[in-house]
Amino acid sequence: MHIYVTGAATTQFGELWGVSPRSLARGSVLSALKDADTEPKTVQALFVGNMLSGMLGGQEHLGAFFAEELGFSVPAFKVEGACASGGLAMHNAVNSLLSGQYETVVVLGIEKMTDHKPEDVATALMGAGSEEERSAGATFPGLYAILARIHMREFGTTEEQMAAVAVKNHYHASLNPNAQFHNILTVEQVMRSSRVADPLKLLDCSPISDGAAAVVLTTRKMKRSIEIASSVVATDTLGLAQRKSLTELAATRMASDKAYKIAGVQAADIDVAEVHDCFTIAQILAMEDLGFCKKGESAKKIHTVINPSGGLKGCGHPVGATGVKQVVELVEHLRGTAGKRQVKGAKVGLAHNVGGSGATAVIHILKK
Amino acid sequence: MQSPVKIWRNQKNIASLVGKTGTILSWTIVRVPPGDFTDQAPYPVVLVALEGGKNVTCQLVDYDEKHLTFGQKVITIIRRVMHPDPDGVIPYGIKVKPA
Amino acid sequence: MKFEFVSDFDIRISNFMVGIVSYGTYIPRYRIRIADVAAAWKKDEEEVSKSLGLTDKSVPGFDEDAATIAVEAALGSLKTFQGDPTDIDVMFVGSESHPYAVNPTSTIVGELLGLGHSYLAADFEFACKAGTAAMQAIAGLVAAGHARYGMAIGTDTAQGKPHDFLEYTAAAGGAAFIIGRDEPQSSQLSSDRRKVDHLSSPVIAKLLADTSYSSDTPDFWRRDGMRYPSHAGRFTGEPAYYSHVTGAARRLMEMTNTKASDYDYCIFHMPNGKFPREVAKRLGFTPDQLAPSLLVDDIGNAYSATTILALGAVLDIAKPSQKIFMVSYGSGAGSDAFVWETTEELVSARGGPASGRKSKQTVRDQIANKTYIDYVQFLKQTHKL
Repeated sequence: MHIYVTGAATTQFGELWGVSPRSLARGSVLSALKDADTEPKTVQALFVGNMLSGMLGGQEHLGAFFAEELGFSVPAFKVEGACASGGLAMHNAVNSLLSGQYETVVVLGIEKMTDHKPEDVATALMGAGSEEERSAGATFPGLYAILARIHMREFGTTEEQMAAVAVKNHYHASLNPNAQFHNILTVEQVMRSSRVADPLKLLDCSPISDGAAAVVLTTRKMKRSIEIASSVVATDTLGLAQRKSLTELAATRMASDKAYKIAGVQAADIDVAEVHDCFTIAQILAMEDLGFCKKGESAKKIHTVINPSGGLKGCGHPVGATGVKQVVELVEHLRGTAGKRQVKGAKVGLAHNVGGSGATAVIHILKK
Repeated sequence: MQSPVKIWRNQKNIASLVGKTGTILSWTIVRVPPGDFTDQAPYPVVLVALEGGKNVTCQLVDYDEKHLTFGQKVITIIRRVMHPDPDGVIPYGIKVKPA
Repeated sequence: MKFEFVSDFDIRISNFMVGIVSYGTYIPRYRIRIADVAAAWKKDEEEVSKSLGLTDKSVPGFDEDAATIAVEAALGSLKTFQGDPTDIDVMFVGSESHPYAVNPTSTIVGELLGLGHSYLAADFEFACKAGTAAMQAIAGLVAAGHARYGMAIGTDTAQGKPHDFLEYTAAAGGAAFIIGRDEPQSSQLSSDRRKVDHLSSPVIAKLLADTSYSSDTPDFWRRDGMRYPSHAGRFTGEPAYYSHVTGAARRLMEMTNTKASDYDYCIFHMPNGKFPREVAKRLGFTPDQLAPSLLVDDIGNAYSATTILALGAVLDIAKPSQKIFMVSYGSGAGSDAFVWETTEELVSARGGPASGRKSKQTVRDQIANKTYIDYVQFLKQTHKL
């Protein structure tokens, strides 16, 4: 059995003060259904990826909530795995099709973060870490900063190299109409931005964003379908203190090793990849742990184009939406409809979605 | 407000971690704190390898700049982990200071 | 020189000795110069320092309180304690800055120390003499065979209202004393009624005599719900500090038929640099007898910890068979007075490689381990900003 993405769409990502979660859902899902040339009534299940609806908005039960909003009287599920919620919703949707239970499902990744004070959002995001990390007053920039410092010592990675990641991702974002940011950055600007958690600075960090992304998955190949060649999840310890290694995100490595095997490809075969750059150091770790380069060599030129959407940094990171948006982006490139940011001749794409400081990693490999 | 029941359940863990020596594996200085920690920022959060094999993530206190270095010897102590609500239970927990 | 006992407390005239078996002290590392406090309020720095007779005071870290300080001091006392924490049958913590108005500091400390559940816990309050009152009470329980060992702690993170003169002296610190006796004993409080066949932790300073002088004297007080204490200005001198300290001291000398020259050291509560020096003089003690205990010059007045931190400082340097005369003072008002005599066991109780026990810091080490902060940082750390 094969699983196909037949429709894919995202909303604008950014500070969308006037746009409600309901609007975000309608916008992305209806566009995805139109893109798939699929009637709403053929949808048999709805998977919603989201992290913060309960903690910030007081609303759980999102499967029922959005099923009602979208007019789907179908089995509906909220799937949560911190920033990997979107990828996990995808994975669960894929499994539901593989089980033979459904033929056509919709995956909606959605997050509304700007209704709340940044300190409250930062506190809520720490729900992705361990109790010990919360009691220590750690923040997510802080946890990745701890990893960054080790990476700098072990591999000679510099703050300038990390800054270059933000610069490149902003350049890509400038070519993406739906991205949160369209401004071009320089390394000096990133280096001069205020420190958030040493050594990470403001411009090393992905923003707080609103947005949604949706895909239609089916078991029937249609015109313009893109195949999901593998969908793999791996889990590591919640907190950094319990990790075996502090120089890699083992969950990324384990999930991608298996995903490559199942898809029958290697890292070098990936033409375009959307990786989880919640912080600049995360993109460097991703490139290494996904096998695109050796440890400490992420500055070298590689075949794979990384984060043409602008990544989390440039495109924005509405937490639950990201994992689904990554798949939407790959679909665009594999169909040849990515406009100014099109990766030429893209045949194989990889989406890499991480929860917390690496406790969950989800890999999707897509083929034309 | 922190749940008093959770605080109570956690006491054994805390008591078992006091007075242990360790070394710093890595650190950061949090300058943009979460809500409960706004009155403390900026503060260092450190990852410590404790004697006996466990690692912990906690705050470093009573330090000088020179102590923020790989391998710095530290010892675990009891401190208030966050400023409690005026009517809440006080959460005591583990931090480290240079040894 | 023979010590004669004339005691109101017959229970102590027996064939065993109650005393200190182990002690621990803690002073937070932060200091603010009195001169910097004066400068913040545009006062003459030299004049203030001179009139109060001190230079620096200790300031707690933003995350320290009387409970965390008590734990540090208590852990220090356990380092050289030869028994098991579960042998401690009593935990009394005295403070005027208990973290809760209702919820015992003593069990917070007891739980973190691993005392188990078979112990009597209570919090004491009596301005700056809460710690010494706890000591007297525990001495009685141990003497009566009602407890094998008991820990008395005096701990405070004292607060002074900004711009009030107490702001110059209110400091932070803690000291813990484990009290036991040098005879085989069993404790009624011990749930397994186990008889201890030999004394595991010997007495390092015998309690030869003690007394207490109490009255209703409103020199310094804090109403429930008020953040800072109030005081009656110069009334805190003669009718308060001096009359109670000398009252208790003279009574103790009468009881023991001794005079100042019979002692090697003296310790008096130190609300500032002047009062202890003056009262020592009045009672006939020399500056040399007083000097080792004068911590106030460097750390200010740590309230319930002050007198007993000074006792720790003296025990850090005393030789065996030396006598210590100690009088505390708590506003409201009262004084507890004690005569201690050091034993041969004191030397190994200080810890360190030669003794085969863990090392611990002396009070002077802790005084020297300091970082100066400015007035703004002082306000932040004491939660006024």
